[in-house]
Amino acid sequence: MFVKRWWQKVYKQFQLKQYEFEALNYLVVDIELTGLDVKQSEIVSIAWLAIEAGRIDLHSAQYHVHKDVKALEQSPIYHGIDESMLKDGASLEHIMCNLSQALDKKVLVCHSALDWPFIKQASAMTSISVEPLCMVDTMAIEKKRLLSCGQPIAGDSLTLASCRKRYQLPDYQTHHALTDALATAELLLAQVNAMNAGKRIKLADLM
Amino acid sequence: MTPEIAEVKQFVIKQMPFSQLPEAASHFFATHLEVVYLTQQNQHQWLRSTHLFLYLVRSGSYDLLSASGEVITRLAEGDYFGYPSLLTGEAIKNQLSVTTPGLVYVLTQSNFDFLRREYKLFEQHFVKAHANRLLSSHYKQNRDNWSEQKISDVMSRGAVALTPDATIVDAAKTMSQYGVSSIIVSENEQLLGVVTDRDLRNRVLAQERDPHAPLSSIMTQSPKYVFEHNRVFSALHLMLKHNIHHLPVLNEHHVPLGMLTSTDLLRQQKSDPVQLIGNIYKAQSVAQLKLLAAEIPLLLKSFAYNVEDTSLIGKLLSGLSDALTARLIAIYQQQNGQAPCVFSWICFGSQAREEQTLHSDQDNGLLLPNEVTQEQRTYFAHMSEFVCEQLALCGIKRCPGNIMASNEACRGTAEQWLARFENWIYAPTPKAMLNCKIYFDLRFIEGSSALYGEFTSKLAKLKKDDLFFAAMATDINTNSVPLGLFQQLKLEKDQQHHKFLDLKRRGVVIINDLVRLYALKAQIYKANTLERLEALLSCDLLSKNDVYDLKDCWRYLTQLRLNHQLEHDHLPENCINPADLTSLEKHQLKEAFYLIKQAQQACAFKFARGSL
Repeated sequence: MFVKRWWQKVYKQFQLKQYEFEALNYLVVDIELTGLDVKQSEIVSIAWLAIEAGRIDLHSAQYHVHKDVKALEQSPIYHGIDESMLKDGASLEHIMCNLSQALDKKVLVCHSALDWPFIKQASAMTSISVEPLCMVDTMAIEKKRLLSCGQPIAGDSLTLASCRKRYQLPDYQTHHALTDALATAELLLAQVNAMNAGKRIKLADLM
Repeated sequence: MTPEIAEVKQFVIKQMPFSQLPEAASHFFATHLEVVYLTQQNQHQWLRSTHLFLYLVRSGSYDLLSASGEVITRLAEGDYFGYPSLLTGEAIKNQLSVTTPGLVYVLTQSNFDFLRREYKLFEQHFVKAHANRLLSSHYKQNRDNWSEQKISDVMSRGAVALTPDATIVDAAKTMSQYGVSSIIVSENEQLLGVVTDRDLRNRVLAQERDPHAPLSSIMTQSPKYVFEHNRVFSALHLMLKHNIHHLPVLNEHHVPLGMLTSTDLLRQQKSDPVQLIGNIYKAQSVAQLKLLAAEIPLLLKSFAYNVEDTSLIGKLLSGLSDALTARLIAIYQQQNGQAPCVFSWICFGSQAREEQTLHSDQDNGLLLPNEVTQEQRTYFAHMSEFVCEQLALCGIKRCPGNIMASNEACRGTAEQWLARFENWIYAPTPKAMLNCKIYFDLRFIEGSSALYGEFTSKLAKLKKDDLFFAAMATDINTNSVPLGLFQQLKLEKDQQHHKFLDLKRRGVVIINDLVRLYALKAQIYKANTLERLEALLSCDLLSKNDVYDLKDCWRYLTQLRLNHQLEHDHLPENCINPADLTSLEKHQLKEAFYLIKQAQQACAFKFARGSL
């Protein structure tokens, strides 16, 4: 029984990876945090938008501030959200409920693998399950691409801004969840284009 | 509610037409668009007739190609495409070619239609952009401005005419029957004279003339007239200049069509720039003239915004300069005695082309008869010094190149002038080419038109060889439009490092030079660029399309130059700061420069056989 379920899961993932890039729908998510430690840090704000048929749909964009943040500490230096802005925010339940709906039958896209543990933790705290088809990390894609070109990876060469620069994408202000979500989505499209050079890109190529 | 993304909104709000719409329009656009990454591999998915979209380029650069593969325009940040089909519903014929892949914002037809319904300006912007694509749309005439209207639109039809052997009594009866104040005297459909009710008073009643005498005995012979296709403005100018109230209107074959009266024009008149010209012609003293001249900039400002045909502004300013000059010459003669012999006061350059701007300086000269004596020359030297000095005081700056009648070299007999022209034609040095560009645009202002006419017919007969035309074509090609390798605008910098575009030197001047060359080749002796182009339509030196393109470019650049000249006083003259331009204007500007560049190359090929 267990083996069968496991096999189904593996087979499903295998099938999924054979899909062409544009045949799937994606949800690009970006989170601003109070810190980088999953055990202590909290979600301050979260934003997402969908990519369907290779088009980033701005009408699907959502942006939420988490009102129950216990300690912002030094983090407002980065994301600019202070106590007064928290008050107008939403509860974690509300946010996770929306995210769960938005992620349904979609591939989750983040820049860095760090965001996913926070989403999973929030899911556990609210008992609202989030089940993306699978995960794509634009930072990992970039790292793989750089390594395969034999380029050295410096400390800041994988930040969202430096990645975008490599594809001549416009300069954006960073550390606003919504802008970063769009920036990540655009980066993904540029990366897919740079890889494809005439052949169709499969999801497997992105993982 | 969908949150807007600051970076997208900030970009959108800077673009035309959103920069002029309420913020809600930018918000709607920024939250309803989709972003695509446009590449050579996926470009075939876009610009398809089955899915119509409005596209706005965010980054990258693309060529828009016609169905036959020719480049229509280069698209870069801030440029729109796809709108013609959204507006017309017609199938998309153009294709894309990607130079640098990048981000493009895409708006669906239903969202585009929503913005069109909500914001009139949005609709207007795209309708206008559509009409302006390639500037090839033919010029729409603005019927609202009275002085731009054609005479045929304001005159009352039906000439009230009698033959010259009709009696004075017949004329009086006919005039009262038709309720008109003047009558045309004609024979075999040709205009012979005019009789007005003032003539009945002054030439019949006051002189106790026999009322049964023929009309030919009292009519004004060979009166001034206008053609039906002339502008109202020209008619007014003529009336005010000669203080007449009735102008016969003729068709192309000189058949009288009717009479235009000053009352007809008064009825049309809403604002009056032309009144000023009238007042200038009436001014009795230099002081009065200066007061009137001081009104010119203000008047121009109020007038320029209401005019669509910008060539009229140049005409108006030249008309004002003409009036000032003529009046100053008259005043000088009143104070210092009549001129001792005939003379023609002529003007060159922009005044001759009727393209004057507020910054134009004087370019004039004096044509004297061949038998002029040294003593008479002294009189004219004083007169010229007076006129040029006073013109400068009236706001028309002295010519830095000293092309002024006050300079002895610019006061010559017909023979002397012809010798100068001949020199330039046969020894086409760069200096000579520069002179040709100024002096070949010439126009008569005041004095003896017979003397001037004789001179120009001799000037026309001066033989011009291929070498001369080759030199001119080469000279034209030493100047270039400010377009970079990828059709991007190339900016110049001044000492304070302000970036600017010189619309005159790098645009209008090139068109003027090209048109002058073709006009000389075709032996067209007009000075005005648009009139030269009009005349070039009937010879086969240039194709109709080329003529229309040059006309449209010329109009567009002049309009832009004028608008910016009125609004910004801190930039070098005739220059604009491209940052002040809307994205649409930038787009059109590039198209205009591109057309000029092509015309330049064609000219080099034709006259200099491509040898540059």
